[in-house]
Amino acid sequence: MRNKLPLIICLISGLIMFLQYFSKHPVSRAVYSSILDWWQIIFAFTLLVGAAAFVKVSLKGLQKKGEGKYKAIALAGVVVMPILAIIGGNKLGSPFLWVFENIQAPMQSTVFSLLAFFVASAAYRGFRARTIPAAILLISALFVLLGRIPISEYFSEWFTRIMFWIQDYPSMAARRAILIGIGLGSLTTAMRVILGIERTYMRGE
Amino acid sequence: MRSQKTRWLIYGLLFIAIIISYSITIQLKVTPSPFVKKTFEYMEHLPPQSVIIISFDHEASSLPEIKPIAQIMLRHVFRQNIRVIGMSLFAEGTAIGYDMLTKAAREFGKTYGEDYLFLGFKPQYISAILGMGESIRRIFPEDYLGNRVDSIPLMKNIDNYNSIAMVISIADGDRAVQWIEYAGARYDQKVIAGLTAAMITTYDPYLNSGQLYSLVGGLRGAAEYESLYGKLGGGNRGLLAQSVAHFFIIILIIVGNIIYFKNRMQSKGMK
Amino acid sequence: MEIGAIIAGLLTLAIYSFLYKDNPVYKAAESLLIGLSIGYALVIFWQSTIVDLLVKPLFGEGKLILAMPFVLGLLMFSRFSQKTSWLSRIPIAFMIGAGAGVSIPAMLYARTLKQVSASVAPLFNESGALNLSEMVIVIGLISTLSYFYFSRKNEGAIGKVAKVGTYFLMIFFGATFGYTVMSRLSTLIGRVEFLLTDFLHVIK
Repeated sequence: MRNKLPLIICLISGLIMFLQYFSKHPVSRAVYSSILDWWQIIFAFTLLVGAAAFVKVSLKGLQKKGEGKYKAIALAGVVVMPILAIIGGNKLGSPFLWVFENIQAPMQSTVFSLLAFFVASAAYRGFRARTIPAAILLISALFVLLGRIPISEYFSEWFTRIMFWIQDYPSMAARRAILIGIGLGSLTTAMRVILGIERTYMRGE
Repeated sequence: MRSQKTRWLIYGLLFIAIIISYSITIQLKVTPSPFVKKTFEYMEHLPPQSVIIISFDHEASSLPEIKPIAQIMLRHVFRQNIRVIGMSLFAEGTAIGYDMLTKAAREFGKTYGEDYLFLGFKPQYISAILGMGESIRRIFPEDYLGNRVDSIPLMKNIDNYNSIAMVISIADGDRAVQWIEYAGARYDQKVIAGLTAAMITTYDPYLNSGQLYSLVGGLRGAAEYESLYGKLGGGNRGLLAQSVAHFFIIILIIVGNIIYFKNRMQSKGMK
Repeated sequence: MEIGAIIAGLLTLAIYSFLYKDNPVYKAAESLLIGLSIGYALVIFWQSTIVDLLVKPLFGEGKLILAMPFVLGLLMFSRFSQKTSWLSRIPIAFMIGAGAGVSIPAMLYARTLKQVSASVAPLFNESGALNLSEMVIVIGLISTLSYFYFSRKNEGAIGKVAKVGTYFLMIFFGATFGYTVMSRLSTLIGRVEFLLTDFLHVIK
């Protein structure tokens, strides 16, 4: 029961969603639309579970020495946004959007911009032409770095031309091969999942 | 400790280089790339009152790069009197999208519900993209502000992709891929992507195969679009700083390699 | 000066303090960001999906069929108890199955066949002549795919072709690295712009 029921449900929902692709029958469309609705709703619950788990872990960590105050700050953040949304709604000018625009979004972009510093450091430390493949990688990167800035256009338009050729042909070919590889891999995994051969999602309760 | 100091030095120099170059007001000329031109031309020739979807499929982290792209494209569509349905497949893109769409619409005196609207967010993106191919109002019964979609004039004759000229996915990840692979492949929906530069190479195969109509990529893409539009903005402002920062990285790579080869030759000599 | 810009500016500097070393100010800002992000997502998820697609249609309009996804959604919470956690497999199986089902045609048609066709179709132009740049794509595609062919050892002829594939991969990784650097620098420029204009008002 514990194993069979999920496998049967997976098989049924998988088969319906696969087979409906070939049917325009109203019943098939109605079932398809319903499953899409259900999928959306259940998916939203997964976030609620995630948020509840975060609160649970943070509450446990409140007593820990040193870490406690940070957990309290995080918990305050979780609580404050729903309160603001309940009090002032989510329209332009609401406190909810104000906090998002002036606190959350700037911090998020700043955290992301830290990567610029790390990339610069990595460029100096790790980007070495140790082997022929590494040299090819380096030259390709240099062409993009030079070809996409306007200053290089003042010197020669060839930087840009070569860069676009690299991007449109050899680089694109490799990316396409990766894409096809992922496509075929996903295809077989999807079939294995529907048929119950691939069951990794059954672990980790 | 020495490596730590080197790291701080690199961080400091990069920060100073960007501050100085950003403070200098030199306007660099950009040559629009073919795909930015293609996007611009498409919007120019789209009949007024056509309806497009702009999906803000990104997080706040990429905002400095995404915002100039979204802003200039929004300005262009509103200037062309194209009607816009905004939405998001990323939670954070929801507030950002609503904010940018509303501000751009106000700039052009557009009316909510007639010239534009914001549907809001749906978390399961594949289900949302496929579901909208069947019925948009089924996936979004209400808009972001809680109005019934049925009561919104813009949505009067629109129920699925059949009435949507183009989907523009402003993305910092692979969400635009899902638009291509699900809305494009199944419902023949045309898709344009506005992307962070880091994602450009990921989308090259789709551009080449014609599955993606065109793309506007990175701050540079925004700058190119602004130059075609005729009003410079966030994309162009950072161009000099971007150029200087690129040179800084190139110098770091060269210096790093010189030191590496020098050390290698020295160690070979010792052997 | 606008209060929002002051707060955003101070928090920006708090995050940048991490570049010196990990410190309490950074940790506090980081915790606040995590908390706010979850709180924000809760509001958006609740409103856009739970209320719009479930609460209003089920309890307001009486669409009883929606009781099914409601119950399935609630089963997700069974994960919090060891005894009942197996029940959460049911909604997960439903979602995984649906995802797998819709992905088969997409992966086959949009990701594989379309890409193969786009590689082969332009190989010869209308007059029948070979297009050399398109030939590069075909060589790159075949050699890179053979690099990912793990069913037998990369030796002999396959090994040599696979080696060519690694060169193509390096070109792709190099180009992607270049664009990634460009992207990260743009984000940093954006933050510098904010600090110089809205926060410090050094530039107008």
